[in-house]
Amino acid sequence: MFTTVLVANRGEIALRVLRTCREMGIRTVVAHSTADRDSAAVRLADESVQIGPAAPRHSYLNAAAIVTAALQTGADAIHPGYGFLSESAEFAEICEAHGLTLIGPPSHVIARLGDKVSAREFAAEAGLPVLPGGSGPAAGPVEAARTADAVGYPVVIKSSAGGGGRAMTVVHEPGDFARAFAATRREAVTLFGDPRVYVEKYLDAARHVEVQILADGHGDVVHLGARDCSVQRRRQKLIEETPPPNLPEATIEHLGEITVRAALRAGYVGAGTFEYVLDERGACHFIEVNCRLQVEHPITEMVTGIDLVREQLVIAAGRPLAHRQCDIVPTGVSIECRVNAEDPARGFVPTPGIIEEFVPPGGPFTRVDTHAAAGLRITADYDPLIAKVSVWAPTRAQAVARAHRALEEFTVRGAGLCTDLAFLQEVLTHPLFRYAKHTTSLVDQMMSTPIT
Amino acid sequence: MTAEPAHLDEREQVLDWVVRHAARLGQAGAAPLRRITVSTATLAVDVEWSPTAPRDPEPRPPGTELQRRDDPPGIDAGVDAGTPGAVVVTAPMVGTFYRSQEPGAPPFVEIGDVVEAGQQVGIIEAMKLMNAVQAEHPGRVCEIVATDGSPVQYEEPLLALVPCDGH
Repeated sequence: MFTTVLVANRGEIALRVLRTCREMGIRTVVAHSTADRDSAAVRLADESVQIGPAAPRHSYLNAAAIVTAALQTGADAIHPGYGFLSESAEFAEICEAHGLTLIGPPSHVIARLGDKVSAREFAAEAGLPVLPGGSGPAAGPVEAARTADAVGYPVVIKSSAGGGGRAMTVVHEPGDFARAFAATRREAVTLFGDPRVYVEKYLDAARHVEVQILADGHGDVVHLGARDCSVQRRRQKLIEETPPPNLPEATIEHLGEITVRAALRAGYVGAGTFEYVLDERGACHFIEVNCRLQVEHPITEMVTGIDLVREQLVIAAGRPLAHRQCDIVPTGVSIECRVNAEDPARGFVPTPGIIEEFVPPGGPFTRVDTHAAAGLRITADYDPLIAKVSVWAPTRAQAVARAHRALEEFTVRGAGLCTDLAFLQEVLTHPLFRYAKHTTSLVDQMMSTPIT
Repeated sequence: MTAEPAHLDEREQVLDWVVRHAARLGQAGAAPLRRITVSTATLAVDVEWSPTAPRDPEPRPPGTELQRRDDPPGIDAGVDAGTPGAVVVTAPMVGTFYRSQEPGAPPFVEIGDVVEAGQQVGIIEAMKLMNAVQAEHPGRVCEIVATDGSPVQYEEPLLALVPCDGH
């Protein structure tokens, strides 16, 4: 096992990773920007290294600074968390070249699956159903528009290197295509340093379902069930739950099986997620692979009892999987709500500010992953995620009630600061959500016809 | 189950030892203590004193020094506040700081030297790349803060200048 792990991330996920390392007796080093020098992760780490200014390009996306920090502090592994460099094949290669273990799949797997264009190609080869779209990255706006016309609107323009719902634009009208194409391309360069984008058919009323896998370096792959992430705003998830409600057991089992088979074929190693959309008829279509830990991993942990970060470390250290497929028996229902510093009434725009009062919920089977506290400054430099509230209960009805209760308890206050707490509660009480008939269009529906 | 308390006892003893010695360590150097790093597993105690004259007249009580790492270096950390108007040249990146072009060569600058804006005052090596560190303002070097060959963090003070108009 590793002696020292450098955490190359910030916010709640830096803390999440650090805590499991601490539990396993592994020394932690937190690499941080000037904006995060007083963060809880820095405080709790055995050591910290200031790697750059607030701008992610020069700190959390700065591979040279992170590798230098790891070498300086004697780290033998780097945990990239999610976002930032977590799915950069180039970063994985640099780590490998410097004798550092990057906790995640090997660079060639990230290159193939983390890149959305080649992941689409791989999925087609592996026999996974894919949505109609362009083959390969769009050569330019004209060719891309032709692809869009061919597959039929609405379409989505996605950054090949992107993730987390960033740098992707849904286009409903051919007239909007050129502008959206240019904007997505710009965003892709800013966020991921890669201008490649591609075009794919977009399903307006679909369910977003994803399968969590664990794969070791010895050819064993297991899945840990599926998560429903259909409650989204601006293509970013707001509420996730497992198991996906109202989905036949056989469908979940089928998704698990095809995912495991594809992961084996890809030579996948580590924790990963295969994302699918289900159309109205229940047919599933592969959309992408996340070669990293997901934001919503806690709900899988709550129903399986498996610490995914621990498994990541064990796998990265070269050990075989401790669980066989038949050992993994998820029980009950878990729901996660993402509490963001944003204003639902203004299209969910982030609202930077200083948190003056912060009282997270407690209670039975209620887990709060957060780096926030009174005095924390929410800046525009980073994701507006303040906290993740995850609950568990034996049934869905109880889990929904518990999540609602937890959100009611949560107080986040600060001048200029808004949160989505009230909106999340509205979703939890919405009849479509209660009956589990909701799709990815739920939030848009709610915004156009508010229920009071 | 019985092995665990014994193991804990051992760790407690180590901690006790460090706490007992911290006070003495604090007075061992001419300057106040800057950092004590304790690594467990195979025990290592790393003690660092400030490079300058005491800024902190009150010695801190033992135990409060036992943080794993002090705050990341700010602009003024460890820099002689006694020189009024001193400007600090900080590390533009994380890496290893070198004072001279090559081992054995004379340093780029020494205390008392007058430097021009843009003049090279050091090197930061990061992943085998030698990056020049330049003075942004003209001035007379009044203090060398970072040790030659030491790892530095982003914005860690390297040296201090007293500004002058130059020409």
